[in-house]
Amino acid sequence: MTEFIQTLVSGLSLGSIYALIALGYTMVYGIAKMLNFAHGDIIMVGAYSVISTVALSTNIPGIVAVVVSIVVCAVLGVTIEFLAYRPLRKAPSLSVLITAIGVSYLLQNLALLIFGSQQKSFHLDFFDAIKPIYIGDVLINGITLITLVVTILIMIALTIFINGTRMGKAMRAVSEDKEAAELMGISVNKTITVTFAIGSILAAVASVFYGGAYKYIKPTTGSMPGIKAFTAAVFGGIGSIPGAMLGGVLLGVIEQFAKAYISTLWSDAIVFLVLVIVLVVKPTGLLGKKISEKV
Amino acid sequence: MKKFFKLLALTLVAVMALASLAACGGSSSLSDPAVGADGKVTLVIGGIGPLTGPYANYGLSVKNGCQIAVDEINAAGGVNGIMLKLQFEDSQGDPEEAVNAYGKLIDDGMRVSLGGVLSGETASIVAAAKKDGILLLTPSGSALNAIAGNDNAFRVCFNDPQQGTISANFIADNQLATKVAVFYQSDIDYSNGLYETFKTQAATRNLEIVTTQTFTKDSATDFSTQINAIKASGADLVFIPIYADEAAVFLSQAKANGLNNVTFFGCDGIDGILTKGVTNEDVEGMMMLTPFAADSPEADVQKFVSAYTTAHGSAPDQFAADGYDAIYIIAAAMKQAGFSGEAGKVDVANFQKRLVEAMTKIEVDGVTGNMTWTADGETVKNAMALVYRDGVAVAYSSDDEK
Repeated sequence: MTEFIQTLVSGLSLGSIYALIALGYTMVYGIAKMLNFAHGDIIMVGAYSVISTVALSTNIPGIVAVVVSIVVCAVLGVTIEFLAYRPLRKAPSLSVLITAIGVSYLLQNLALLIFGSQQKSFHLDFFDAIKPIYIGDVLINGITLITLVVTILIMIALTIFINGTRMGKAMRAVSEDKEAAELMGISVNKTITVTFAIGSILAAVASVFYGGAYKYIKPTTGSMPGIKAFTAAVFGGIGSIPGAMLGGVLLGVIEQFAKAYISTLWSDAIVFLVLVIVLVVKPTGLLGKKISEKV
Repeated sequence: MKKFFKLLALTLVAVMALASLAACGGSSSLSDPAVGADGKVTLVIGGIGPLTGPYANYGLSVKNGCQIAVDEINAAGGVNGIMLKLQFEDSQGDPEEAVNAYGKLIDDGMRVSLGGVLSGETASIVAAAKKDGILLLTPSGSALNAIAGNDNAFRVCFNDPQQGTISANFIADNQLATKVAVFYQSDIDYSNGLYETFKTQAATRNLEIVTTQTFTKDSATDFSTQINAIKASGADLVFIPIYADEAAVFLSQAKANGLNNVTFFGCDGIDGILTKGVTNEDVEGMMMLTPFAADSPEADVQKFVSAYTTAHGSAPDQFAADGYDAIYIIAAAMKQAGFSGEAGKVDVANFQKRLVEAMTKIEVDGVTGNMTWTADGETVKNAMALVYRDGVAVAYSSDDEK
């Protein structure tokens, strides 16, 4: 029983990180209607920003490094959007998708060039301060709890932002019809820039928790969690914010149970099998809205 | 006209096919080392290993260890007057790159090959080395197949199956544990090889393997489920026949997930783990099977350690020691074979044949122990274990435990 609950805790830990990344994916997709495959690599850049800041001097508090990482990622996200995606606004979505994959490889290789292929240890002082909690024999790491709480808070904040603010209203309008939104006096470019900034800030936050939980990063760190989180976003219904949360957590829990009770070799296969089944039964994902094609 | 070209093309194809067959059939044995313009003989020893990339620590250690031995021997006048020259090529750990590097080394006059630093690299060139008839002595290529099928190939280190067996014996002999968990990487030969022989030997030594946990290259970030399973199994010792990168991740997560009161026991793959960003606390008490301890009081070890530390700012690991020994082994075999590079009485005839024959006759007391070689290229020597205390690997003795 202890092992079962412990596996569940591991699943929640992994799942909340997936959820955090998936929120960024789903946000950009929901509004800009594009899959930003470089999202995972922005997480990697965020993690390197944290360790580079901490390495500058011994007395830099971890929280400063986190702020630096958030700023770096936001600027990077907006820059990528401006340089790589904006010129393709009217291009077919396939071109944008391929550009995103290109950006992903560009970021990975830049990191390889700057930081080398050696893995780097990720350490933040404030994670040390949180002691693990024991419930019976079950150990819950402080970072697991914080990740889960932060992810839920971000999900609520995003939902309120999108449904309750002027900018949120603009985002919804752009999502529904770019041209009509433009005619109504909404700046599509500005709205999409803000969307990318928010998505990248989420990536920076995810990088902090990812590094804190798994201790080491390397230039390819972002790619696998990026793919898993994309899966989670599709699983929950891409474009839906609560869907990304639900998809991420479920995916993490399924993955860890598959590892613990079936086989570590099969866990990824099982995760993707579940995705296929969900998509066959409910093509829009768990919480996805059915969208009728406009003619 | 068209017909003529067709015929011409066919003829050309046939000629080329024949030519390539002929190239395969012919034995391209190397010439003996040549006498230079100054009347001296210089032997080029060629090494291949990762000097950049994720495995660079292994390649650099071997290269640095070799260079120190070469410098010492040359400073003392060479081997019977034959000077040594080390040429080391970067493979980035890629077996295909190793093949290119081998070709380049042969072109540059290599007459003794150190094979590759990693098993995969050595395995990818062992057939070419056989064709060239060159002595191959890998410092650290430990997989069985790394030197298989080549009577001219030898190694300095233990092979993988030996390490698994010796580990099980060591754990049983020193009563380190009765319940053992194994954590290994199921998609690499090194890890699999060690696990298989460890399992077999553990059974004969009454060590109970209470759980076996695995991971692969693609799932090497999150080890929490495996750690939970090991915790639940009640193991006293975790055998980790894996590489240093993954071991660093595993150990730091093990600490965070409350896997305490167990001994971690690894083999040569975890050597160099202190360069991987682990904290001293993460590796405290971890044991490592190795034939080399930098803190050994023996005079030859201390001489090597101080030379290495002066040159590179850190104590040598096992890979550096393997490299250092490899050069001295080659020197010992050259002396045994009776070569000479002294002016006027140069004797390097039948170089490869005499050198290989000498390999099974020599006994070398190196920094990794007292070694002899069997005809199939394997070394016979003793193993010991190191234990990490406050970030330093020191020789394990049964008194200071518990």
